[in-house]
Amino acid sequence: MISREICAKILEAAVSTGADYAEIFAENSKNHSISMVSGKVDSISDGVVSGAAVRVYKGLRSVMATTVDLSQEGLLRCAKKAAAALGEGKAELSIVLRDRLYTNIHPVRVVPSSAPNREKVEILRTACQGAYDYDKRIRQVTGTFLDVDQNILIANTEGIRATDRRIRTRIAVTALADAKDGGTQTGSCSPGRRMGMELFEKEVDAEAVGREAARQAVVMSEAGYCPAGVMPVAIGNGFGGVIFHEACGHSLEASSVAFGLSQFAGKLGEKIAGEKVTAYDDGTIPNAWGSLNFDDEGTPTRRNVLIENGVLKTYMIDKFNGRRMGLPSTGSSRRESFEYTPTSRMTNTFIGEGPDENEAIIASIDNGLYAAAMGGGSVNPTTGEFNFAVREGYLVRNGKICEPVRGASLVGRGSDVIMNIDMVGKDLLLAEGMCGASSGSIPTCVGQPMIRVSSITVGGR
Amino acid sequence: MEFKDFKTLVAEAAGKAGIGDYELYYASEESTEVEMFNGETTGFTASLTGGVAFRCILSGHMGSAYTQELSGEQAESLVRRAMDNALTLEKEEEAFFAEGGAAYPECERTEMPVLTPEQLTRAAFDANEALKVSHEKITDRCSTQAVTQQSKTCLVNSRGVDLSWNSSVDAVILGAVVSDGTEDNDDFEIKAGDPDSLDLKEAAKKVAARAAAKLGADVAPTGVCPVIFAPEAMYNLLLTFAAAFSAENARKGLSALQGKEGEVIASEIVTLLDDPFYPENPVKRIFDGEGSPTARKEIISGGVLNTLLYDLSTAHAAGKQTTGNASRSSYDSPVSIQPYTLVLAPGRLTEEELLAQCGSGVWIDTLGGMHAGANPISGDFSLQSSGFLVENGEKTAAVRSFTVSGNFFDMLKNITALSDKAVFPRLGLPAVASPAVLVKELTISGK
Repeated sequence: MISREICAKILEAAVSTGADYAEIFAENSKNHSISMVSGKVDSISDGVVSGAAVRVYKGLRSVMATTVDLSQEGLLRCAKKAAAALGEGKAELSIVLRDRLYTNIHPVRVVPSSAPNREKVEILRTACQGAYDYDKRIRQVTGTFLDVDQNILIANTEGIRATDRRIRTRIAVTALADAKDGGTQTGSCSPGRRMGMELFEKEVDAEAVGREAARQAVVMSEAGYCPAGVMPVAIGNGFGGVIFHEACGHSLEASSVAFGLSQFAGKLGEKIAGEKVTAYDDGTIPNAWGSLNFDDEGTPTRRNVLIENGVLKTYMIDKFNGRRMGLPSTGSSRRESFEYTPTSRMTNTFIGEGPDENEAIIASIDNGLYAAAMGGGSVNPTTGEFNFAVREGYLVRNGKICEPVRGASLVGRGSDVIMNIDMVGKDLLLAEGMCGASSGSIPTCVGQPMIRVSSITVGGR
Repeated sequence: MEFKDFKTLVAEAAGKAGIGDYELYYASEESTEVEMFNGETTGFTASLTGGVAFRCILSGHMGSAYTQELSGEQAESLVRRAMDNALTLEKEEEAFFAEGGAAYPECERTEMPVLTPEQLTRAAFDANEALKVSHEKITDRCSTQAVTQQSKTCLVNSRGVDLSWNSSVDAVILGAVVSDGTEDNDDFEIKAGDPDSLDLKEAAKKVAARAAAKLGADVAPTGVCPVIFAPEAMYNLLLTFAAAFSAENARKGLSALQGKEGEVIASEIVTLLDDPFYPENPVKRIFDGEGSPTARKEIISGGVLNTLLYDLSTAHAAGKQTTGNASRSSYDSPVSIQPYTLVLAPGRLTEEELLAQCGSGVWIDTLGGMHAGANPISGDFSLQSSGFLVENGEKTAAVRSFTVSGNFFDMLKNITALSDKAVFPRLGLPAVASPAVLVKELTISGK
């Protein structure tokens, strides 16, 4: 990629008008995905993302210029454009770059971008067939095999020049079953890791992915509609953690907190959640979907304790927003690609294990809902209003799990709902998702053991 | 490397590989954006981006690949990867390229000037000044943005298609944050056009009033009742469920409208058009992502599904003509079937008459979590909402943090009235213009 000498020249150009910080983020990535419909390869997306962004700061102002021209002249033009946008001034920084090597905590054995299509197709076919074979009510199956090979370089005026190769692989299957009332119900399963093709040796059984998608679709095809109203809800482990991601996680990102646009701004040290809630954002978990060796500003990722026994301990902070807050980066700066301005985002965010048994959580509910599997959601951090969908739900009566119900979403305000988490189980599990925000779509994990929310609005009918 | 040089290299590489039938799609975009928080510049972004997609037909299948790196090595890699991908594909439908020599529609382009950083800074500043005095509940935590964006698209293929399209958009975004001391609320408004010609004061008043109206709002009561969807809510519903109009989704068994052309799918007062030239939308198209001419069409006429939306491959399989709806949002997007501006034809009632017909129910103007709470295949939805109660034919208390649940395809049949004015809430592609829509009954889940 770009040599140390050229990086230094670019940074010199970037700070020539008085910037107090400058950074280069260059990228060359291979994005590949294969989709299968009705057991046949239906489409393939295959691309190279290539370009660079130069960012400069002066106080609380940030300027970013991007280019797809990675020649020395192209990069210098880009740096000069950023410098010019900052206004007139004199260089106040001298550039000394040292190469920095980070430990790779996400080893990859078989690089997926080098594997032939047919290997991926066979895995995908096994997964989709797993769904068809599960039950004759499965009438359609779609699947995707997706891999990304991102090569990045970051150099900044703090003197760092570092490179990383971030590889991730994922398989996703959606199964459709004919519902008993004539409609269609879907089920899905989509595991992924920061790994290569070896993902399918021990970590993920492709056929089981298809079976799980089919199982969910079949269960839901027999379900009636979820009733509407306010009730206690038990939320299962794994992707159930989307509740914390939406109801709380986004509102702890510096991108909203720094501007006072979060329900949790100014609440460090205060009790904001039920006392059984201890929550983490941990970008260091080996090979996990949301992990990184270092973030998109070159800060090593770490295990941040966000909430400890209900008390707010830290926010997720990037360098730029950290300036406004007077706080250092927590290794939380992320961007989809060089084309997006990075900001504070989540990595692997989860509620830690608590004291309760799952049986006790269900037994405590007289009349409520058990959300065994969750879909996606969204939140407005300013108001804290969030929503997320229940993918697989069951009514709970007299402490027992009863018939399945469909079509429910859960809504509320983050600050109310996390305070209402009053039971936390022991079966912590992470699950993979894509999170969208101003700096693009990035891989993140959500997670939790089973939890109970004592009261939440269930949108059924 | 310039596109014209890269094009020559790709042609050579294709020739060497024995590929005669191919297509190149090039898109580039230059944009500059200024962001302000409370009138102070916090961000400035100047981006120059673009890339090339190559498609070729091999063994009846359309293989493709794209790149942002325009180099000799990539020209060869692009051709090789597209060929490899074509040979991997197994779908049965035949692939086609558009033929040259077609007549393209006339369409007046919406021209907007290229703005300088100084002009953008002034526009963002003016927008913030307008917000400051917009409402008594406005806070000093408002943000504004001004953006100028110029894009160029070229599509050439070996069948004689050689097309290009330039477009430019300027926009000012006003993000209002209001507070009553105990809670905050926010909303935003996008105004497209030369900032000198925009009434930012009026836009600021509108967005601040909209945000302030929901301060202190209660949760709506749980029950089944008539619902009016305001145009802003119809924007979300129509775009989410537009996937059902795609002939490609129908082919895959992923649309509830599969095999329903010619059948009644909606109330007889429902007529839905797809308009690539909708005057209020600055983003217009005269050719689609495959190079076919675009055209206006009625998707639903008086409740009857007139046509699905087609590209070349799905049209051929159905023995029809393409409707010019092969969409490519950029070089890195696959060709997929999408509408342009969906226009729900207005009805006869004024807003007051529509409210009177509703009697008591809920007026919903904001829907959230479309990607989670709506299933475009089954049509089921359960969505986070906010709006106002309707009591005795009038909008009364603001309500929020509740859900509205139902099924989109059932709802189409239960539309009982439409207001007499179509509103265009947001520019872009795809987009929506819709009147307010009264639905007989849906379930509200709140307190």
